Amino acid sequence: MDDSLDNWFIREILVHERALMRYLLRSWYRRDEIHDLRQDIYVRVYEAAAKARPAMPKSFMFTTARHLMTDRLRRARVVSIDAVGDLDALNVLIDEVSPERRLSARQELKQLTEAFDRLPDRCREVVWLRRVEELPQKEVALRMGIGEKTVEKQVAKGMRLIAEYFYGGGHTHRSRERAAADAEHGDGHGQQQAD
Amino acid sequence: MASSRQIELIASAWLARRDGAEWTAHDQLQLDAWLQESTAHRVAYLRLDAAWRQSDRLKALGAGVPAGAVPERGAWGMAPLPESRATPSESGTDGEPSAPARVAAARHLSALSPATRKLPKSRPRRLLRYATAGFALVVLASLAWGWRHYAAVDQASYRTAIGGLQDVPLPDGSVITLSSDSRILVTLSRSERHIDLQQGEAFFKVAKDPGRPFVVSAGDRRAIAVGTRYDVRRDAAELRVIVTQGVVRLESDNGPGGRRRPSTLLPAGSIALASDAGVVVNSGSVQQAEEFLSWRSGFLSFHDTPLASAAAEFNRYNARKIVIGDASIGSLRVGGNFRWSNAETFVRLLELGFPVRAVHGKDVIVLKSR
Repeated sequence: MDDSLDNWFIREILVHERALMRYLLRSWYRRDEIHDLRQDIYVRVYEAAAKARPAMPKSFMFTTARHLMTDRLRRARVVSIDAVGDLDALNVLIDEVSPERRLSARQELKQLTEAFDRLPDRCREVVWLRRVEELPQKEVALRMGIGEKTVEKQVAKGMRLIAEYFYGGGHTHRSRERAAADAEHGDGHGQQQAD
Repeated sequence: MASSRQIELIASAWLARRDGAEWTAHDQLQLDAWLQESTAHRVAYLRLDAAWRQSDRLKALGAGVPAGAVPERGAWGMAPLPESRATPSESGTDGEPSAPARVAAARHLSALSPATRKLPKSRPRRLLRYATAGFALVVLASLAWGWRHYAAVDQASYRTAIGGLQDVPLPDGSVITLSSDSRILVTLSRSERHIDLQQGEAFFKVAKDPGRPFVVSAGDRRAIAVGTRYDVRRDAAELRVIVTQGVVRLESDNGPGGRRRPSTLLPAGSIALASDAGVVVNSGSVQQAEEFLSWRSGFLSFHDTPLASAAAEFNRYNARKIVIGDASIGSLRVGGNFRWSNAETFVRLLELGFPVRAVHGKDVIVLKSR
């Protein structure tokens, strides 16, 4: 349990998820694997950082991403020509990973607001009552006339979707998200350039 | 081995449960065990936890919305988000951080906020909102009370209440930003622009006018400029001058026993501390100097700052004071960016990250060691 490592990870790695997602989407030929790929990248970065913190976290994350994709391609039996072509481009892409520009608090709030507005109705209402009005879950259940278990489920869904939209910019519009979220709002403007 | 999506689902279920009221020590043990099981679990959990904590900042949208009403999507143009309509159609612009946006502690803290924090069972009532209403600006345009040696064109005094921040534009084009709980007396004559800083701190954006020096006096010291930007802060024991542009001359009246005290030239990037013992000048980059002035946009930034000093900073802006109850914790080092209106959050994070506990009184928060 290393809190400072956890904080480092949130502060130095997670903030670049949007850029990472763009990179993965551009470089990886199978969209349905991206969620999994992202997890693997995070696991590797986290475990490496547990031994020694990389001096340049963002580059380190992208380098890790590249290695992982290369490994996967080597292991894959069938390799699409596209993928190989892309992989050659990967080195270039990393260099052009945009220079650091932290979002201002205001831009962040804006993105957060957009993420919030894309939540399905009921989920959105639960998040509002819980986070903005700070009502306990029990109270939210009473207010909305639904069960406490339902509120808890909506909270879980809310945080998954907010993470997806806010960190990842909502690049992952896929059927599985629909399975998890019974509605998908917005027109996918998550493609906006954040950095 | 579960798929990454299943792991995400499980992680969110844990967090949602912890967000509820029925969280027990046993639950915590189970969660800890699950987190220990694999790094994949841990990163999924951290990611969702951080996003959920980010969503705390949505509170900024709640200003002025009646309780129990969830605003329409995109209704944010009407909600008092003074700085922007948060609608998807708008392009983000770089600007000052929004007034109500909370600081994402998780992102900026260098030393606080453990990721596995317990959400408080019941939050304290609404944190202090920065209420412009609570802000008093008193302008006493004094009548000409007698003949002055110099023809005073204009004399006015301005003051702010605790937590107030006020821009005072002057007729010559200069702008003074008055910090919390501060008082100035402005006297403009044909030969001089004289500001008497009677209390607190102010930032001066001085319009160039070589013929009329801009003099900020505080006690027996004066910081003089022609056209520049600098900040002067007055405390009981010392005066602090920070220059972010141009050059400022710091002068003093003769010291005790008629000792002459030399004047000091302060170029941009200087941070000067003047006390009875003399003047200490720290020359750094303008950027470093600017950091001290983030109060102008409603923030306080700390880098490896002793807790005692950080608390003192907060106290400049808040009526409810943070008191260091045990000397031993005053030297803890803290870092991060905080809204100064948000002392409560700061204290909560301290409790999470340090062996500190807070005792909340009516008008004080006492920090004790744990």
